[in-house]
Amino acid sequence: MNFKEIVELIEKVAELGVGEVEIEQAGTKLRIQGKPTPPAQVMSQFAVAHPAMQQAIAPPAAPVPQLPAKAEEPEETDSGLHIITSPIVGTFYRAANPESEPFITVGDHVSKGKVLCIIEAMKLMNEIESDIDGEIVKIFPQNGQPVEYGEQLFAVRL
Amino acid sequence: MISKVLIANRGEIALRIILACKEMGLKTVAVHSEADRDALHVRYADEDVCIGPAPSRQSYLSISSIIAAAEITGADAIHPGYGFLAENAHFAEIANECRLTFIGPTPEAIRLMGDKAKARETAKKSGVPILPGSEGPVKTHGEALDVARVIGFPVILKAAAGGGGRGLRICGAESDLQGAFDTARSEADRAFGSADVYVEKYLERPRHIEIQVFGDTHGRIVSLGERECSIQRRHQKLIEESPSPVITQELREQMGEAAVKLCRAVNYTNAGTIEFLFQDGQFYFMEMNTRIQVEHPVTEEVTSMDLVKEQIRVAAGGHLSAPNGFFRLRGHAMEFRINAEDPVTFAPHPGRIREFHVPGGPGVRVDTAAYRDYIIPPHYDSMIAKLIVRGKDREETLARGRRALDLFIIEGVKTSIPLHRAILDEPRFIRGDISTRFMEEFEW
Repeated sequence: MNFKEIVELIEKVAELGVGEVEIEQAGTKLRIQGKPTPPAQVMSQFAVAHPAMQQAIAPPAAPVPQLPAKAEEPEETDSGLHIITSPIVGTFYRAANPESEPFITVGDHVSKGKVLCIIEAMKLMNEIESDIDGEIVKIFPQNGQPVEYGEQLFAVRL
Repeated sequence: MISKVLIANRGEIALRIILACKEMGLKTVAVHSEADRDALHVRYADEDVCIGPAPSRQSYLSISSIIAAAEITGADAIHPGYGFLAENAHFAEIANECRLTFIGPTPEAIRLMGDKAKARETAKKSGVPILPGSEGPVKTHGEALDVARVIGFPVILKAAAGGGGRGLRICGAESDLQGAFDTARSEADRAFGSADVYVEKYLERPRHIEIQVFGDTHGRIVSLGERECSIQRRHQKLIEESPSPVITQELREQMGEAAVKLCRAVNYTNAGTIEFLFQDGQFYFMEMNTRIQVEHPVTEEVTSMDLVKEQIRVAAGGHLSAPNGFFRLRGHAMEFRINAEDPVTFAPHPGRIREFHVPGGPGVRVDTAAYRDYIIPPHYDSMIAKLIVRGKDREETLARGRRALDLFIIEGVKTSIPLHRAILDEPRFIRGDISTRFMEEFEW
């Protein structure tokens, strides 16, 4: 890797707000550490959005102090978007069955309680509802893709 | 055939199972909670799935999440390890229904032997010695009193659905029975969802000696010798060894025969342990554990068998590799459970491990999932490593234990290492003159 390529890589890391990149190639090891600094304004927005989200998504259980989980970190870096994560492990489906239309597509406005997708676990179809009002700006998994607990499903602009 | 194993556990046992799978050329899937993202079992498995938040109830105990993880990764077998769902018959049943091979006994065997009263009954019917006590649960204080008068005080009250030392009440005299009966029942109800308790004769200074058994699906059941596990506190084992200093080959064969008889009665398959109390040359059936045990390495070291690989082979329908006839144990082995806890108060001590140096040299084995800078989460068991030492005899094993403990460096959290080291200098322990009361009387 030459100097120019390294500089380009550093610029790209800064631009995308990536936390860290590590590359090993032909005996050379390179690590670039970014500085994701979310604006303070956004942080406060999340302080409001967060409890609502946990209520809607978390399985019924005693309130447990949540550890700062990795899966939720992108929420802060993704400039002001509300991220809906998967409450369970399973297979992600955008529609109720292969023939029907997807529940939602990018650009749709959704309100709280609207079914966004289905996650199949143990032959059970679990409808995942929106926990917030807003516009869907991104759908992270592909249809039919396995998702784990805490994995990002949708980005919603409030 | 098994080709990809999902490990429904964490910590050292998850890693132990991954090692066995690697040696057998099997793919592995680790499941983990959010608190275990940096755990070694996650790093060493071929695939990993986050199944829930930190609390076990929502992750390692969530049957649907674990089965879903097996489905999305295409695993064809589940190894439950020990603890968590290992002795949950319902979990084994669901796994089987989902066409996943459960690496353990059948749900029927788990259910039957998991109910202490039923297990006792089965033992009695099969001619395995049991402690005198009630036939099944006692419903009232009066009923308990009748039994206690016949067998004589002291007696112990045990939760029928219990385990891990919970739901036990010792009662020394008639006057204490009412209180003990009420507490045992409410404790049993709270801990296990069933208030059923039964009454048994209480031995004052018994040893805890257990027999490792193994059955395959072709009707073969073998005994792999004993483990002496008398060094316990609050019913949690601290040190285990094999052979026991007091078990002769003749007794070993008698206990082994009794254990195999019991297994035969329930068509037992896979790894299991029959726990006995031993006092004055007599052994009495206590309970059966239908899983791989924490202390299984002790048996591995004196039998040269890999019990976890054997579990997988047998679950896949293979024949037991153990030779016919009774085992002659070779050499001596001892295991020390290293817990992250205050060695004096036993209070758990989670936190970051700043320094971690594992001892080596001849006859030393360390099973652990800890490493330098690992943060021990506060949500789970405090055991962070098992130190297993092996020697040609007990004396050499004790010497190895001492020097291995001296060279085992863990900084940043308090551990039980100093306690183990002190026990190894105690004359009574050195003589092998021990009972389950040892820790109550041990001063250092």
